[in-house]
Amino acid sequence: MNAESLILATSASLMALGSAGVLMRRNPISMLMSIELMLNAGNLVLVLAARIRGLVDGQSAALIVLVLAAAEAVIGLGLALALFRDRETVDVDAAAEVRG
Amino acid sequence: MNNAFLPIALACAVALVSAVGVILARRPVHAVVALLAHSLCVAALFLIMAADLVALGQVLIYSGAIVVLFLFVVALLPHGGIESVVPTGRVVSAVVAGAALLAALAAGLAVGAPTAPENPAGGVEAIGRSLFGPLIVPFELTAALLLVAIIGAVAIWRRQEPEPGAKASSRAASEGSLAHTADAPGATGRQRLLDEGGPAR
Repeated sequence: MNAESLILATSASLMALGSAGVLMRRNPISMLMSIELMLNAGNLVLVLAARIRGLVDGQSAALIVLVLAAAEAVIGLGLALALFRDRETVDVDAAAEVRG
Repeated sequence: MNNAFLPIALACAVALVSAVGVILARRPVHAVVALLAHSLCVAALFLIMAADLVALGQVLIYSGAIVVLFLFVVALLPHGGIESVVPTGRVVSAVVAGAALLAALAAGLAVGAPTAPENPAGGVEAIGRSLFGPLIVPFELTAALLLVAIIGAVAIWRRQEPEPGAKASSRAASEGSLAHTADAPGATGRQRLLDEGGPAR
């Protein structure tokens, strides 16, 4: 097993861990952190592909994904705080008014 | 890249262990610390893969900005944000879904081991040419994205606060008997109606 395969396997495992975390947790903060895990896994693959192909476009895309992660964290944390202030609970299942 | 196999293996192992810590920690503070360790390990991996600028961005934006933002929010939570017990069925279904995704990804990646050339392309200048050349549209769109994110965050926060001007004028109009309703969430609409009817009374 060479180093590239190891990084690929790590990235796939990180993606699976992040998706399991999003499905499992009830705390919106923890769900956001799991989403950050998945974004990191995607970034790893992008940089590895840039390395393998000898192009830098993957690194540029990874930088754009970093900016995206920052914007997502700001909006997600704002929503989470609004949820906490509205109902004093840390459970996303509690926000169910729109359920038909 | 195979001459750096041991550091890569170490960084991968720590990144995976801290990722497990992120999704399993019951206290959000512990999860945030695990996320910090994870992002630093990923930055080390970027550095080994000769992606200096991305590693720098990872340390500055992830470890510096996002993790600190998470810490601030956790500090604002009631009871430190500890969640109630997760039901077993949900844990089982999440594990099954994660394992299925892992199997699918492994099947997709099992076509063969890639190998990297020994002299990598890169450098800040090449990334700049790429960002301002073929990737100019997504790069410029991130500016609009950040602006919209800032405005959206402020709007989400402001919508719940009672307006100070409305509160003061309604208190003047109704001798303070109705002013306490402005403290309840969602009272700004009612308060605005009171204000419009206020001068007529």
